[in-house]
Amino acid sequence: MITYIGLENIISPLGITAEENFNQIKQGNTSINYHRGIGFGHENIFLSKLKNTPSFYELLSQCLQAVIKGTEDELILSKDTIVIISTTKADIKENITTPIIAAIKKLTKEFQLQQQPIVISNACISGVLAMNTANNFIKAGIYKNAFVIGADVVSDFVLYGFQSLYAISDKPCQPFDKNRTGISLGEGAGGVFMSSDKNVFKSTCFEFVEGTSSNDVNHISGPSRTGEGLVRTVNNSLALAQLKPSAIDFISAHGTGTSFNDEMEAIAFSRLGMNTIPLNSLKGYFGHTLGAAGLIETAICLQSLRNNLLIKTLGFEEDGASEKINITTRNITTEVTTILKTASGFGGCNASAIIRKLK
Amino acid sequence: MNYITTYCHITLNNCYVNGKLTHSFNSNSIDDFTKEFYKSLILEYPKFHKMDRLAKTAFLGTEVLKKECPEILNYKDDEIAILFSNNNSSALTDVNFQTSYQNGGVPSPSLFVYTLPNILIGEIAIRNKWYGENMFTVAEHFDAEYFVNYCNVLLHKNAAAALCGWLTIDDNKIEAFLFFVTKKDFNELNLPLESKQLIELYTKN
Repeated sequence: MITYIGLENIISPLGITAEENFNQIKQGNTSINYHRGIGFGHENIFLSKLKNTPSFYELLSQCLQAVIKGTEDELILSKDTIVIISTTKADIKENITTPIIAAIKKLTKEFQLQQQPIVISNACISGVLAMNTANNFIKAGIYKNAFVIGADVVSDFVLYGFQSLYAISDKPCQPFDKNRTGISLGEGAGGVFMSSDKNVFKSTCFEFVEGTSSNDVNHISGPSRTGEGLVRTVNNSLALAQLKPSAIDFISAHGTGTSFNDEMEAIAFSRLGMNTIPLNSLKGYFGHTLGAAGLIETAICLQSLRNNLLIKTLGFEEDGASEKINITTRNITTEVTTILKTASGFGGCNASAIIRKLK
Repeated sequence: MNYITTYCHITLNNCYVNGKLTHSFNSNSIDDFTKEFYKSLILEYPKFHKMDRLAKTAFLGTEVLKKECPEILNYKDDEIAILFSNNNSSALTDVNFQTSYQNGGVPSPSLFVYTLPNILIGEIAIRNKWYGENMFTVAEHFDAEYFVNYCNVLLHKNAAAALCGWLTIDDNKIEAFLFFVTKKDFNELNLPLESKQLIELYTKN
């Protein structure tokens, strides 16, 4: 059984389609801006914010609608179709006691979903985990189709929280750079469609080969110093896919721009023997969109496959980790076949997924 | 065929393992209850005291299940998947964190790290050195079909066992239901992993 993936969508300040977003970042444009006085203690903050401040529900429903357009109309109404949502704090701005369920009930009703959506809230790996879950259900024959949508909005709650951890960058974030000082938050949505049937995609689709997750059993808010969890999940995904590390053409890493996270990733990819494979972080373009990040970044990966173009790591200038890895410093036009997407998050969680062009 | 090898229910002041009352306390609050419960298990794990109520409850439930089914400790460190679920994410800690920065206070970093529900999975993974699959899901009601389907999928793929749990906690109420799923029926409870069976166990106490 093969799981196919495609119909990617991104809603960010850079655009409302994956193509628009890809074209913007291709030109080096970022959605991270300076916002005066919006932080705790009226601190000035760099982050990526949508102009019309949509609610979590609006983002989710707009993104799902966009992905649905690329398939046959009746698929969303099928009992064989599952909607999988990924988010961290959902509607925390408006509804702190039930931030998720109210929006999901509304979505179920509005789109007349036949199956209860599955909502994954697993920190910053939620998006990759959501695709892995879709793949697992499809390969097991439990569902034929999955709409996988991730969304998160910027809120005082999350911004103040990261400020309290001293994890917000005082410049636009600089993933993997020597002078990185933290994250820039972002908001938006990303979505993909996955199916066991390639004929229901109205455009070119790809193979979602395998995906796994692993905990690094180190600390709830500090990444492992050895990258153990990331090493394990990548090894597990490669093993299930029956691929060697050298089969990977490109790595779309997590790269938040915090000192410890990026160091951990560099160590992990080095241990994996993947330090010469071109690798990027997209956080410099979109900020860290938390529950949406895995899907937004995977959507860009699919665009890279379509265009044979690897995107440079915006904000990165000088190596800043103890292990040397091959971080993209310019856009690279090259034949790309197989991509590894990774994510790591609080709670020690790590996830990976392998996507490739159809043979 | 996969089995529900052992299960437990935790409510305020009581813990039932495989349907039998095993721990009972007379505390007046959730915090006193989890403290008493922790003391009674003689664990010497000081990190416990830093956890929020959600993580404490999940931690205690897991310890009780391990005692009842020690065979779980024989699995390789990455063979145990951890799947938890509830209907309100980390709402209780979210409200506490919000309170920390309102009315002239400053945001509390120690509360903020618990405003993600999967932190409780991290706590259990760290405690037991379990490197396996992790997933926290949010659902309106206990979704037996999800647990059955996803355990079957993972036990067929890269896991040999799963620790599962549904837990909701508010100011004065705990509702926790935890269970181990394994391929071998260690405790011979003869409870095959099926939706009907799981719903029956869930509603038992």
